[in-house]
Amino acid sequence: MIAIENLIVQFGGVRPIDCLTAQLSAPVSGLIGPNGAGKTTLLNVLSGFVRPIEGKVAVKGQALLDLSPLQRVRAGLRRSFQTEQVVEDLTVVGNLKAIADHVLPNNERAESVSAALDFVRLRAVAATMGSSLNLFQRRLVELGKCVVGTPKLILLDEPAAGLSNEESGVLRELILRIPGEYGAQVLVIDHDVDLIRAMCTETLVLDYGRMLALGPTDEVLASPDVRRAYLGEF
Amino acid sequence: MVSPMTASFPATAAARTLSGQILAIPMTVAIFSGAIALFANSFWLSAATSAIALSLSVAGLAILYGQLGLVSLCQFALVGVGGWVTLRVGHAFHPPFEVSLLAGGIVAAVVGLAFGLPALRLRGLYLALVTLMLAGAFQIIISAWGFPDGGSGFLGRADGAGRAMLSRPSIAGEAIPYFLYVNVFAALGLMIAQWHKLARPGRAWALIRKGETVAISAGVPVLVYKAWAFALSGFLAGIAGALLAGNVGQLDGRAFTSFESLNLFALAVVGGVYNWYGALIAGLLLRAIPALLTDLGIDGYVTIGIFGLALFQALATAPSGVAGQISGLLNRLRAHLGKSGAE
Repeated sequence: MIAIENLIVQFGGVRPIDCLTAQLSAPVSGLIGPNGAGKTTLLNVLSGFVRPIEGKVAVKGQALLDLSPLQRVRAGLRRSFQTEQVVEDLTVVGNLKAIADHVLPNNERAESVSAALDFVRLRAVAATMGSSLNLFQRRLVELGKCVVGTPKLILLDEPAAGLSNEESGVLRELILRIPGEYGAQVLVIDHDVDLIRAMCTETLVLDYGRMLALGPTDEVLASPDVRRAYLGEF
Repeated sequence: MVSPMTASFPATAAARTLSGQILAIPMTVAIFSGAIALFANSFWLSAATSAIALSLSVAGLAILYGQLGLVSLCQFALVGVGGWVTLRVGHAFHPPFEVSLLAGGIVAAVVGLAFGLPALRLRGLYLALVTLMLAGAFQIIISAWGFPDGGSGFLGRADGAGRAMLSRPSIAGEAIPYFLYVNVFAALGLMIAQWHKLARPGRAWALIRKGETVAISAGVPVLVYKAWAFALSGFLAGIAGALLAGNVGQLDGRAFTSFESLNLFALAVVGGVYNWYGALIAGLLLRAIPALLTDLGIDGYVTIGIFGLALFQALATAPSGVAGQISGLLNRLRAHLGKSGAE
């Protein structure tokens, strides 16, 4: 469970996150909101790249803000970025090894990388350089990196951006398998409401850094406040 | 169902084995050194010895620029540091040459790490300026101190008849054996550099090059790996300096200006920083072209203009350098042969 309590992030005179308190407990939770709502800032706080001026965050009971970004990765936090970050001059396996090198002891790396490769169904292109992968494969590599080691919390920032509906469907199926197979909680940001509805049993909606709604996804998406702020309905 | 595996990829993109890529180095160096040892006269043998030694310093530079995107303009100063320490240790204690050489490499690694400290926070133009100024500082110091030549005291400077030359290793006292000796160390150095690129450090550097946030998100301790790159680069430059000192038994402070560091960087780009043999090509350009001009009776300073044009050509049309162009050609050849074999 992710427990956020009275979280405040301030950049100069702007508060991208303002007194946010929320608890996310679903295996796969959604995080939505209009542009500038503070979604990516929240992911940056969780992964340690932005330091809040106030508040507490705990994941499965462990206080997160006391840990450095590296300690969080070693403790099981994984994240992907809005723009996929596959290294072009490393192979698919090399990209997975690059994270295994730092989160696992030597004798466990090969097995974990192999399992991740199978999980994202990229074994046939394991030796292909990142520069030769298509966008779908690059997104899968990003997901594969998230399941290397022993992930406890996976933060996915628009993992399906730029993919076709069919490709998004495959990605969704894989993301839904993560909690069962890896025991990790997943938090997904995406602007594709249909994807969020199909994947997340619980969704948090942010607006101007504050919580607009939190609850079962269908109820949240049906909320008039959410529809007005996020879906542009009047 | 969409399958991510159905797309086809060029065979050339497939990675070759790590051991295969590393073993290509001693094989290439052996062929090169054999050809030079058989056919070169003493003038060209000396030039080739310097070229191979300097290729190690280019390999160090290629780690910083090719792997991390860091522009360091003090690499030739580190060659000088390695040479200075080798001469000082050699004259003071008369140990086996390998001990002096290793001392030169280790001290240059420490100095390289110190020179690289700004890089832990700086990059781009600012890092280039800071490192160029460090090269300038070394130029001033070495102009005042000179290289040790058998004297006493910390600086090891002798006056007049007391000057001595550093002895070459006992197993490589003559020009050809010393040339082969330098080739062995160059092959070892290039293999160490290549192993780093292909193994865990190379993967960490690749992530840092992608972005420090990306690297940290993958658990990479960015500062440690940057510092390691600077130390390794300094070590290789120091070994190059030691091998140069052993070539002629003495070094001239006037040959270690900050311009030489600029020249070395430019030729590293021309040779190619993404392939290991780019360092060999750059080393040869650095010493073979001036030697050729000298052989033809043309002023060696003409090389500055030639290298400038070569750099312009590389930046405009071949950012991966001569080595990148050779690599592309080999890949196309392999693809063509693979296709012919399939038919």
